[in-house]
Parts: sequence; structure tokens; C-alpha cells
Amino acid sequence: MTIFHSCRGHGTYLQDNKLKASVAGFVEKVGKLICVKPVKSRYNGEVGDVVVGIITEVGQRRWKVDTYSRLDSLLMLSAVNLPGGELRRRSEKDELMMRQHLTEGDLISAEVQSVHGDGSLALHTRSLKYGKLIQGTLVTVAPALIKRCKTHFHNLECGASIILGNNGYIWISPLLKEDAENQTTKSDTSTLEREIVARLRNCIMALAERQMLLYDTSITYTYEASLNYQVSQHKK
Amino acid sequence: MEIISPEGLRIDGRRPEEIRRFNCRLGVLSRADGSAYLEQGNTKALASINGPHQAGDKAKIKHDRVHINFQYSMATFSTNERRNRPKGDKRSIDISQLMREIFQSAILTDLYPKSQIDIHVQILQADGGNYSACINAATLALMDAGVPMKDFICSCTASLVDSKTIIDVNNSEELHFSNPLLTLAILPTSEEIILCQMKSRLHADHLEDILKAGIKGCKDIYEIMHREVLNHVREAAAVMNAT
Amino acid sequence: MSSSTLSEGRKQFIVDGVTQDCRADGRRCIDFRRFQIETGIVSNTNGSARLRQYGTDVLVGIKAEIGQPKQERSNTGHLEFYVDCSSYNTTEIDGHIGDFTTQLTKSLERIYDSENVLDLKSLTIIAGEQVWVLYIDAVVLECCGNLLDCISIAVKAALYNTRIPGVSVNDEEGVLELEISDDPNDEKKLSIDKVPVIVSCNKIGHRYVVDATQEEECCSSGRLLIAVNDRNNICSLQKSGTGSLDPSTIFEMIETARQAAVPLNQELLQTLKREERSNNDKCGFFAN
Repeated sequence: MTIFHSCRGHGTYLQDNKLKASVAGFVEKVGKLICVKPVKSRYNGEVGDVVVGIITEVGQRRWKVDTYSRLDSLLMLSAVNLPGGELRRRSEKDELMMRQHLTEGDLISAEVQSVHGDGSLALHTRSLKYGKLIQGTLVTVAPALIKRCKTHFHNLECGASIILGNNGYIWISPLLKEDAENQTTKSDTSTLEREIVARLRNCIMALAERQMLLYDTSITYTYEASLNYQVSQHKK
Repeated sequence: MEIISPEGLRIDGRRPEEIRRFNCRLGVLSRADGSAYLEQGNTKALASINGPHQAGDKAKIKHDRVHINFQYSMATFSTNERRNRPKGDKRSIDISQLMREIFQSAILTDLYPKSQIDIHVQILQADGGNYSACINAATLALMDAGVPMKDFICSCTASLVDSKTIIDVNNSEELHFSNPLLTLAILPTSEEIILCQMKSRLHADHLEDILKAGIKGCKDIYEIMHREVLNHVREAAAVMNAT
Repeated sequence: MSSSTLSEGRKQFIVDGVTQDCRADGRRCIDFRRFQIETGIVSNTNGSARLRQYGTDVLVGIKAEIGQPKQERSNTGHLEFYVDCSSYNTTEIDGHIGDFTTQLTKSLERIYDSENVLDLKSLTIIAGEQVWVLYIDAVVLECCGNLLDCISIAVKAALYNTRIPGVSVNDEEGVLELEISDDPNDEKKLSIDKVPVIVSCNKIGHRYVVDATQEEECCSSGRLLIAVNDRNNICSLQKSGTGSLDPSTIFEMIETARQAAVPLNQELLQTLKREERSNNDKCGFFAN
């Protein structure tokens, strides 16, 4: 392959005017652009992706978020909705209250706003569907296994809701009730709902171990197949 | 004890230009970003990769390229005589430093500024060619982790016995101190030498022969590694296309 | 992948789950995760075993060497342990890795290096001078909670797999010479009847769980290590971690651990016997 007929995409490099692959994976050709996508890699964010992240640090007007990428992602103070839904400039008081809003270890669902020059991601939660995640379980899989869909928030028929983060972090929680905004840390999850969440978790991990793509249909089918067995009998 | 018998066979029945039985597998650890296990004869190595991820130590952050951490350790039961320390001794630190430099030149480091890649190789059983097994395992693990590299790094040992070259030297052959031992690592496509380490004395006339033998050994190993990586990708593709 | 700090919401979810006897993966409080065990995969050793669970991978190798007996026990052989956690995949351990592995090593020594666990007298060659020393080394390749229990199971399996070569003592002009036999029929097996496995019991909320995952360990308010053998006897007890325990809690935890240990010990023994009988080619790391 020479450079005259093709453009260099991810996973390739030029040497002596020849395009070579730098990773082991699948070749994707979009017009003249040639990319090689590795079988497994850390998350490479794109604008508009839905991600689930873990807050690792509270800093000056921003939070550092772990999204399983090669650099920590940033969530700016200006990119979150203020409690109460006000629209105003962030003051010093807001800076001091940052830790009360989100602290280390908290889980959030967010959207990728932009990608910086060095590859790090800027996230935002400026929509009612994003925000802190409280009651539920986190499952981590390889990002490549998450199928890109129109929506990554699913309320499954089996009675739970899942968020399939593009970065491989999946959040499973009991079905969100009407007043989901006021989710408190007080528990109100019944044993039945917990079993559903546990069953879903095991199904997702089983699919991931077999390198199968994860999306709402594949997870639902696996869930239905697993109903033949008791949750506590599952392999993991 | 003769290393090469009058019939031209070595102690383990191999011909001088034959490498040991080579088996490898990618993705053996469930939570590492990349991992690989390989067996070169009776030498067994396991490599695991964590990263690239945010560099933890502020002192290690490089604004223009990735920082590579390499740790080489040998399990205490890996050698015939039990070792006391798996790592931290001067030899392991020296090897770790050497490996770091090798991989720094093969990994496309400028793609990941401010990040860090941790490579850990554990020798579970040592029967000669430990450094080669270490390099080969680390290469496969990096492939598994999707870290972009210029090429594979394939490594092999070679020696000279009674003016005949032998490749992929095992432990009992290595113990003959009078014979030179060459550890070689190359980028197979371009045949560029990335590591060349020699122990003991060698007459300059024989250098070309032993280098050629080493390069051939590396290329034989490359064929097997390449095949295994292709199989691995094909299997993954088959599963993904089915869903 | 995940950080070691859990948010309050996640912790509460785990604690409530434990209270309802439905943990994150659907297990009950006394259920162990499924694991795979394979013995005899490192040929350089006298005995070896590998334990695999999702996220945990431990390899144990036992080498028998002739050495001097310990001063206070000059007529028996002894065990020496070493735990190696050098992989970066175990970075989620709090504190210094060296201290953590030393703690594990010392716990194992305390529990296993005893006449009540193994017939150490049978490891004597020349009383007071030469004995068999078993060096038990554990390499932790990956860790996802409950490390000590996993190491103990792998150690028990490796001991089952261990073969000590026969030694003959020749008296030549007053000098005692040892000759190690190469004959596989001369090899001795070790009896693991009294060898325990460690069951760590964590107090989460008001209940106790065994085989805690990493997330559950973060929510634990107290931990008790209980070594239980095949006859369901307690061989050792150790309280670890922060948080205090009520005496009644300790009794309840012991009962929980004993209940959980019964199926564990049975299944382990069955697996080891089945493996020995089948004589299959060892897959080792090439297995799925």
C-alpha cells in the first residue's frame, strides 16, 4: 500500500513510504481512510459517547474521572448541573461545595464533550439522564465488546435498568422509579430485584468471557436462558 | 559430556539449527489489559501488561511520550536450586532496565504522552534462554493489550560449539562456560537488531556465523508467534461476527 | 481497573445485599466462588498447584531440600513459606506490597508449620542434623479479593501433589552420607488428612460472608481468619483488619466458617483424587 491512495488512520504508521499496521486486529476501510482496530485496548473516547466513570480526585473547579482510558478524564465544574437546576456562573461557594456534590469513589454517567489534544476526554453531565449513580452494581468489560447503539440506557423487561458505557463500564441497577432524581442512599431494593441484578451481572460477565458483543438484545436472551438455573448456582 | 554427538544431535535430540518446541497463548489472565504465556522447551514465561494508563508518579510523566515500567522476576521455584529472591536483586534490576530500553524503541511511544505502561514478566520455569522467553512473552502480551508497536520483537540465543553454531540454547548447554552465548533480539521484518548481548569469548571470524544463526532462530520464532497472533485475531473476529 | 475506594451508595448496596443473603453475584453468604484447580504443572518442583477463579490466579510450587532442622525442633522437618505478589495487577492492595506479602507469609507459617498439620517427623533423615525442608512458594499472578483463602487451597493441593524422594543413609567410616534415590517408586506422598484450608470470614453489616470479593472487603468491619480441616476442626484463628468484634460475633463467625468449609474441603479432595486418577495431559496455562 502506498500513501497516494490511502490515508493513515489509527493503528497504522508510515515507514519508508509504506503503510504498516502497528497493532494486531481488524482492518477497517472507510473510503480512503485505513484503520486497524485492535482486538482489545483501552477506551478511546469519541465525542458523544456515553460513559460510566469513577471519580478519582476532586480538584480546582474540576473532577478527575477514571474511564478506563489511557489518561484520566476531566469533568469541569461548569459541565455539571447545579443542584436545584439553576443556570448561573459558578461561584467560589460552588467550588467549596464540590466535594459534597461528587467525591472520590462516586460513580457517574456522563457524555464525552470533547477530546483534548493529548487524548484526554472532557465529560459533561448537563442533561437529566446523566449524573451520580447510587444503588447498583458495576461490571467492567473490555470496551471493544460494547456495541455502539442509538441509546445506551436501557430499562430491560426483566425488571432492571442498565447503562452500557462505551468505555466498558456497565452499571446495573434496579428499575428506576418515577422520582429517580431523589435517589437517596437509603435502601429500598427488594430481594427479588437484587436477584435480577445479580443474574444480569453474571450473564454479562459470561458474555464478556466469551468475547461476545454486549447490547440489550444479547443480554436479554442470555438472561432468559439463565432463568433455568438458580442465581446462587451460577459459575461466578 | 558432548554438546553435539557424533551423529550431529544435541543432548535433547535436536539438530544444531533447530529451536525448541515453542507454544504460546494470548490473553491468559482475566483482568490484565494484556497477557501472554509461552513455553520455549522447558522455559516457561508469563507476561502481563497494565496500561497505557495515567502516569501515577508526577516525576514519571513525560509530556511527549509514554513511560514504560518493566519488572522482570523469576519465581523462587523456577530454577533447579531454589532462589531466595524473585526480584530486587541486582541482576533482575539490570535486566529490567535493559528490557525497558528495548521496548522503548519498539513501542510507538509518542502516541501516548503523559501515560504509563507497566510490563511484568515472570519466569515460572527456567531452562535456558530466560531473557529470550521474557522478550517474546512481553511482545505477545503487548499485542494482546493493543499497544501499537513498530514490529514484533523476537529473541533467540545462539552459541558456538566446535566451530558449529547451535541455536536456542537450553540450560545444560548454557552451563558450559567456555562456549560463547549470544542473546539476540530483532525486529523480524527489517532484520534490525535491537538487542545483542554476548557472554564469554568469541573469535571475531565467527561473529558473522553466530549472528546469522541467531537471526535465523529469531525468524523461526517469529513465524510461530505471528501465526498464533493471527489465530487469536481470527477467533475473536469469528465470535464478533456471529453476534 | 476499578479504584479501591467505593462510594457510599455502592457500599450501602453491598451491605443491604448481604443482609438479604443475596450478594452482588447472587451468592449466599456462605457460598464460595467456583474455582478450578490443577496440580503438577511446574516440573521443576516436588509438587505444584494452580488455583484459578475469575480475577484471581495463584500458583504454588513446593521444593523439598535437605537442610538443617530448626533449633527448637531438631527432630522434625519444617516448612518455609514465601508469597510473591510482584505483579502490577495486584496494585489495588492498600499499603506497601512488601508488608502485605510478609503478613501473608507469616500467617501461613503460623498455621501450616506444625506437627498437628503435617507429619513433620517423617521428614527427618538424620535426627538433629539433616531433615527435609519444604519450601512452599506462592506466586500471585492476579488477585480479586480473598487472597489468603485462595493461597491456602492451592497450598493444600500442592501438598497433595508433593512427592518426596527416598533417601538412604550410608555410614562410611563414621561419616554419614546421604544418597537421594532417583527411583519414582521410592517417592513418599504426604498425608493431607489434617491439612486445613483458611476460610476468611468478613463482617458486613450484621452478617458474615465468606470468600469476599474486593468490593466486599472494602465494606468489611472486621475479619476473622479461621483454618478448618477435613474433620471440621479449627486449627487456627486470627483476627485481622480494623474494627473490633464482639465475643459472641466470633463464635458465630466460627460457625459460619465451619459450615462453609465442609463443601469446600469435600469438593477439593474429590477434584484432587479425580485429577490423580485421570492422568490427563496437564493443560496448565493453555486451558481456557
